[in-house]
Amino acid sequence: MTSPAHQARLKALAESMKADETDVLVLFGNNWHADHLRYATDFGIQEGQGIALVRADGSTTLILDDAAEADRARDETKTCEIVYAPSLVKEARNLLSREGNRKIGAAPFHLLPYGLLHGEKDLRVADGTNVIERLLMTKLEIEMDAVRRAAKLADEGYAIFRDAARPGRKDYELVAEIETFFRTKGVAENFMIIGVGGQEVRGMAPPSGKVLKQGDMVTTELTPCVDGYYSQICRTLVVGEANEAQKQAFAVYLEAMEAGIASVAAGVTAAQVAKAENDVFRKYGLGDYVTSEYTRVRGHGMGLFPDQKPQILEDVHIPLETGMTIIVHPNTYHPAVGYFVLGDSLIVRDKGHELLCGTPRQLFSVTSH
Amino acid sequence: MRRGLMQWNPEELPRNALDTRLALLREGLRAEKLDGFVAYTNIARGAAVAWLSGFQPYWNEGLFYVATGGDTPVFATALSKRVAEWIGSVMPVGEVTTTPKPALLIGQKIAHNSGKRIGILELDDFPAGHAQLLLETAPGIELIDATAAFAKARAHVDEAERNLLNHAARLADAGLAGIDPAHTTSAQDLLGPCDEQARKGGAEECFATIAPDLSLSASYLRTDTAGPLGRSFAVRSSLAYKATWVRRARSFTSDPALAVRYAQAEAALAAFKAPETGRLDPAIRAHFSSKGMEVRSWLAEQPRGGYPLTRVAGSNQGDDVWQAGAPFVLDIELSLGGARWLGAKLIA
Repeated sequence: MTSPAHQARLKALAESMKADETDVLVLFGNNWHADHLRYATDFGIQEGQGIALVRADGSTTLILDDAAEADRARDETKTCEIVYAPSLVKEARNLLSREGNRKIGAAPFHLLPYGLLHGEKDLRVADGTNVIERLLMTKLEIEMDAVRRAAKLADEGYAIFRDAARPGRKDYELVAEIETFFRTKGVAENFMIIGVGGQEVRGMAPPSGKVLKQGDMVTTELTPCVDGYYSQICRTLVVGEANEAQKQAFAVYLEAMEAGIASVAAGVTAAQVAKAENDVFRKYGLGDYVTSEYTRVRGHGMGLFPDQKPQILEDVHIPLETGMTIIVHPNTYHPAVGYFVLGDSLIVRDKGHELLCGTPRQLFSVTSH
Repeated sequence: MRRGLMQWNPEELPRNALDTRLALLREGLRAEKLDGFVAYTNIARGAAVAWLSGFQPYWNEGLFYVATGGDTPVFATALSKRVAEWIGSVMPVGEVTTTPKPALLIGQKIAHNSGKRIGILELDDFPAGHAQLLLETAPGIELIDATAAFAKARAHVDEAERNLLNHAARLADAGLAGIDPAHTTSAQDLLGPCDEQARKGGAEECFATIAPDLSLSASYLRTDTAGPLGRSFAVRSSLAYKATWVRRARSFTSDPALAVRYAQAEAALAAFKAPETGRLDPAIRAHFSSKGMEVRSWLAEQPRGGYPLTRVAGSNQGDDVWQAGAPFVLDIELSLGGARWLGAKLIA
């Protein structure tokens, strides 16, 4: 049986294909970009690559180039035909050639395998991004339930993280504890990066073996995935007592995040949310630190991909819509204390937002146990 | 995403080992009259670039360009600017550039080098958007599939790689060592500690999966879909240490009548040695077809291209492209008097 969320997605996808007059939608994915495949097949690909052919009548073929993944898909996915093919491109071209002179769209278009489009005879495949992009951004009520559950696990995961952080521990040992917790809770995927240190730290990355010591700031973003949907939390903690500079920095980030969150509502643009956050930094003379030199985004959408549109930036004029799930995080470098993060996930509502994260908005201190 | 330890240790992966690998690749490019080589990398297809450079992106994507003439290789990635310095610290080979359009930058480098015939690893699977941008940025270039040229170089297995493989195998073993079928209540409770042991030992990645009831299915499932445990189950850890991948699987049973047979099968797997030449299938069938064991299926994987492990031989595969003398992962299903048993191990 397919999940209720998957059934709802299939209905929405069929309507979108009909509106676009697309006869066949080709969706490509792998463990990095698993979202398009997951939307149509509910399969969370882990190894290899896959292509799904979704037809207007609802029949779907999922081609996978890893035999074990195909076996897993047969166990997990009951709504589509599963084909194992060592050559994904060859099999997909073969199946598409049987579709005749029908309108074929594909997404994500730029990632499509070169051989799918260019072979002995070029296939006529159009960019099908518009058929699915909005569906990925704006969630159905039933999809939001999964995002809420993911947010709850993000909160619980951060409590584990705080408990694991103490002087003498290596950064990857903290990650190991989080991953253990998530696996036991049925979470197969998690987007997580970490920063350890002080003023010299310019961003977060995977752990590189740093040992936590007194006075270090430890930044992280946790993004567990539940039923395919991601939700994120960003927090900073200090090993030992926070100093005055760290406390003052935290106050700026808290004010910025709260200003950003307060601005969120349907119809407001991503740019307006970013400006609300960045104006707080400018007010305190930290305007240089909201540029691309020091920060990537001021938040972003989340769903079947952990970092999807809309990116919260002052030059992104996408209007927020009810049902978008986003994180507002004014994460950036602070010249006095180093890279600092704080962020909460939320659902955009007609007149505001629904907050998903419950972890207190504070600069945590951890000491030796 | 990759969220375990990512670190370059020159004692584990000496710079001269990487230089030798690059030299072998360039030799292959010259033989094919190619002016340069481009490999795509992301978390699903990062093995080729990792073999050449010691690095694979933890997220996002990138292109690795090697000019045949000997310039420093270039790694262009869509990862953000702020992590460029970190990448440089864990990637001993290549000049790192962060850019939203890696193919634009690589195309410019190719044009600057007057490259014409450019070898692409796994051209059929290369992202079409990047290919288009390369063709637009370096007009007149020809994209040629260089999978075979890379594979020829990749056949070289050095001591550094063997040591990393053996270390990865030890981490995978450690993850499975603590499993006690008599005191386990759920698949999820098994997979957590398996992952933990691997990551605390420094694994860069661990995909711990489980076939929760061997009386029903041999499919390995993830923690999000694994159902109730049967009396017999198998756990498989697919694990990367410093971008070097192995798999290890063990079967467990709480059925005392089966436990002895399971132990014999595990011992047989531990004792298996690959033939020095010839085909694997007869060797595998001869080794495992005794003591009430029967081979149902098997699969051998070795690193070949972009994927961490590539199927090179198997019971359902006609042509063996297995490289004798090189380490491989053997994944095998046995019937023990009708009872299913699964195992996997690095055969070094």
